[in-house]
Amino acid sequence: MISRWARAGLVLTTLACAGLAAGCGSASSRASGSLNGPTAPSAPTVTVPLSTSLVTAQGTWAIAVMGGPAASDNNFWQLFVRPAGASQWSLVTPPGVADNGGLVAAGTGKSLVIGFRPSQDLAFSPLATSTDTGKDWTPGLLDAGLANDPGAIAVDPSGQALALLQDGTIQTAATASAAAAGQWSELTTRQALAASAPGRSCGLRGLEAVSFGVNKTPMAVGSCQRPGVAGVFVDTSGTWQSAGLALPAEYRGDRVRVLGLAATSGGNVALLLAGDSLLAAWSNGTRWTVSAPVEGVGAGSVRASGFGTGGSAWLLVSGGRAETISGPDAGWHGLPTGPAGTATLAPGPGDAWDALAVSGSELTVWQLAKGAPAHWVQNQMIKVPIEYGSSS
Amino acid sequence: MPGMNSGLSPDDPTLVAAFRSALLHQGAVALIAVVFLWLIWATARTWRLNGDAASGGAATSERGGSREARGRWLLRIGFGVLWILDGILQAQPKMAAGLPSLVIEPTAASSPAWVQHLVNWGGTIWSYHPIQAGAATVWIQVGLGAWLVVASRGRWSRLAGAASVGWGLIVWVFGESFGGIFAPGLSWLTGAPGGVLFYVAAGALIALPEGAWRSPRLGRLVLAGFGVFFIGMAVLQAWPGRGFWQGTVHGRPGSLTGMVQSMASTSQPHFLSALLSAFSSFVAGHGFAVNLVAVVVLAVLGATFLTGRPRLVRYAVWFGIMFCLADWVLVQDLGFLGGVGTDPNSMIPMALLFSVGYLALTPLPQEAPAPGGTAPGAGRGERLRELRPWTLGGMVASASARSVAAVAAVAVIVLGAAPMASAAADRSADPILALAIEGGSTSLDLPAPGFSLTDQDGQAVTLASLHGKVVLMTFLDPVCTTDCPIIAQEFKQTGELLGAKDKDVELVAIVANPTYRSTTFTQAFDRQEGLTGVPNWLYLTGSVSQLGAVWRQYGVTVQNLPAGAMSAHNDLAVVIDGSGNVREEVGADPGPATTSTRSSFSVLLTQYARQALGRS
Repeated sequence: MISRWARAGLVLTTLACAGLAAGCGSASSRASGSLNGPTAPSAPTVTVPLSTSLVTAQGTWAIAVMGGPAASDNNFWQLFVRPAGASQWSLVTPPGVADNGGLVAAGTGKSLVIGFRPSQDLAFSPLATSTDTGKDWTPGLLDAGLANDPGAIAVDPSGQALALLQDGTIQTAATASAAAAGQWSELTTRQALAASAPGRSCGLRGLEAVSFGVNKTPMAVGSCQRPGVAGVFVDTSGTWQSAGLALPAEYRGDRVRVLGLAATSGGNVALLLAGDSLLAAWSNGTRWTVSAPVEGVGAGSVRASGFGTGGSAWLLVSGGRAETISGPDAGWHGLPTGPAGTATLAPGPGDAWDALAVSGSELTVWQLAKGAPAHWVQNQMIKVPIEYGSSS
Repeated sequence: MPGMNSGLSPDDPTLVAAFRSALLHQGAVALIAVVFLWLIWATARTWRLNGDAASGGAATSERGGSREARGRWLLRIGFGVLWILDGILQAQPKMAAGLPSLVIEPTAASSPAWVQHLVNWGGTIWSYHPIQAGAATVWIQVGLGAWLVVASRGRWSRLAGAASVGWGLIVWVFGESFGGIFAPGLSWLTGAPGGVLFYVAAGALIALPEGAWRSPRLGRLVLAGFGVFFIGMAVLQAWPGRGFWQGTVHGRPGSLTGMVQSMASTSQPHFLSALLSAFSSFVAGHGFAVNLVAVVVLAVLGATFLTGRPRLVRYAVWFGIMFCLADWVLVQDLGFLGGVGTDPNSMIPMALLFSVGYLALTPLPQEAPAPGGTAPGAGRGERLRELRPWTLGGMVASASARSVAAVAAVAVIVLGAAPMASAAADRSADPILALAIEGGSTSLDLPAPGFSLTDQDGQAVTLASLHGKVVLMTFLDPVCTTDCPIIAQEFKQTGELLGAKDKDVELVAIVANPTYRSTTFTQAFDRQEGLTGVPNWLYLTGSVSQLGAVWRQYGVTVQNLPAGAMSAHNDLAVVIDGSGNVREEVGADPGPATTSTRSSFSVLLTQYARQALGRS
């Protein structure tokens, strides 16, 4: 026989347990706020998309992602070229490798090197090099995964190459043939650079791009924890040093992100975000010149970026807004809002610009028509034969 | 959940046919075993009767005794029938391949990570051996049910209850993810705390000494347990913020409406789906009232059961049965429709159990000494003597028909479970998964086309140089992102499965990419896949013309596709015996490439290699 007291105890215990069960199932949102307390907002990060363009002696190259809307297995990265002197673009994506992980390009006067980022079960990065505007490709190998950054490969005119890996290691290949044969060696690592004097000084968090400076010196771009500091480093005879890119004092409280770094004929050009200010900076090997800012470029809104000839640079942000700068002596120039689906811009001869817009498997090329006001005019449409489902 | 799902369609015809075949085969064996047992018993009984007649003695009558408690009888028959029904439901064609993906995974999805981890362990074993697991579940449940039905008294009957507890707990943990008690949204209406938990409770009651049924205390305890349970469920149902008070929330179905709507979409007779659709509309419009009724009924039922007063409890039991039946139809949709229903959900076993609690309130009279039974003074020595061989025939002859039937039921369980136990001891998956993906291989006896290529170390290799060894050969793209790394792992695992025989087998891959084909890439692929230390692994390449000739001769089409797509080629594996003849051609498309299908392909290739070794 169960006593009344025992029954009462059972009922009370049941009520408590049921309440606990109900609470466990429904109050997670309350718990997360009250138990952990307010957390510091994480630092805004800028992921620089792989969409870009670059100019070599062969012509102008552009990279954009096309294909399926959501499933990454159906997103295929494409390489287009507009040969020097031509006005029409061609699809020249190197064959033989699924490029769902993304394409990274580096060019010299003579050739263009394409790196395939790893995807799915492929852990290393095949390479492809062309010296004839993408008609033929020579395979190469980087036996590790390339970083997810448009500046993850750099090649100098002699054929020496740098590659930034996913784990923050920088590898180098002495010649183009060594790169093709997979003969890369380690130059430095993120940890080593972070432990160096310039790395400690900037509070290095990660590496994001590589390039060559004057006299073929390897350079690296990193993100710095310390506000107001631009993480640009140069390897001087085996010792990594700050490249000396100092921003004006007004940016000392802002987080600085280097969006890209490219070699020019006499030095380097860098594209930077200091807070919401877009800046360009040029080096002649000894000193840097910093441009005036363009304000209101929000972190995270970057859609594509790149460099042209003569130290020019450009940035495309969400909404089709585009800013260009032609060199150290020029100011920023805003282009008309890009057509819908604009994935990347490509500088043309003189002050001409093309906007490459993507819709599924169609690429539409728009040219900037001069006039008052300047506007975009459709120039070409390319139907890309995407093999949907081939990477599934 | 990694591992649990084989990735194959539950309707896959190869798996369905294999499941049906396994059920028929095991059913036939079980039938033979039952007939054999009956023959032994009948023969021994005839012999004993003749002996007794010759010696002038009387045949031993079946043991008598007092009648079984009504509550126990109902529990035993009711849950016996339910186990048999569950076993029959487990025999539905989709069960073998579909249980992990269609039943276990969705049930576990909303549970905490540790529950998912535990359930994944069980589900992985199932997905590795779906045919054996599916068939074993059928026969275990049918056998358990039959055992409960036929074993009415004594140790055999109590043992059936204990077995029911054991199997029920396995089903509750791995099949029902603890009945979802650790997941949010727990509700009595939708089946909490899991139907099989009531089977466990029933088994525990049956396993009790029969003396426990001769006092109303057991009934009171059962009813008190239900009283506490119902009040707890009422509180859960009434708890604000759990979505049960609203028929719709911001235009979306509330918790109960959503449940009923999802059940209405199950494949079932039209009148049922129409009934559920109508009820879901009603709940959507009157969510508060419906939940209020549920809360009040649960609270009143709980409070009434807690009083333990038979007169009140009788009405509560009848009302509870009606309420359970209403929920069973309108919310749980009978529980077993749609092709992957494994049991009738919680309402029927729950109603059975609290009805038994009520019946157990009425005590039975004390048991009279059994006239033909073992004398109370019979000692351990006497019972042991009964087990000696020369008395075994007498034991069999004196056994009751129910005892023989109980032994037969246990035999069904053992015969069903044995193949699964044997399969589970093997860490590799059943090759049926690979056969289901590829639809079977082609047996051949043709001279293998020769080749002269270069291995990953730059050494020349010809087919003739491999003479005397079995060659498992496939075609792989070294920069492939999907199938090729998986096939390479299947080959590697095949080598491991071959064990000592591995030295007589060469695992050969031929490059299937016209561009990325140098040893730089075969070496990189080997490093990526951990194949550099595999002594009998050869990754062969050559010039485009050399490779092209091999591709053509073996019927492999290799083609560079445009626009960033992978180099395309058909997935193929061939088995070449030591005499240089192709013995088997297997489609090597890894299909869904789950852990179980990878393992399955390795087992299949191992079988072919062993067959070829036997011919060499």
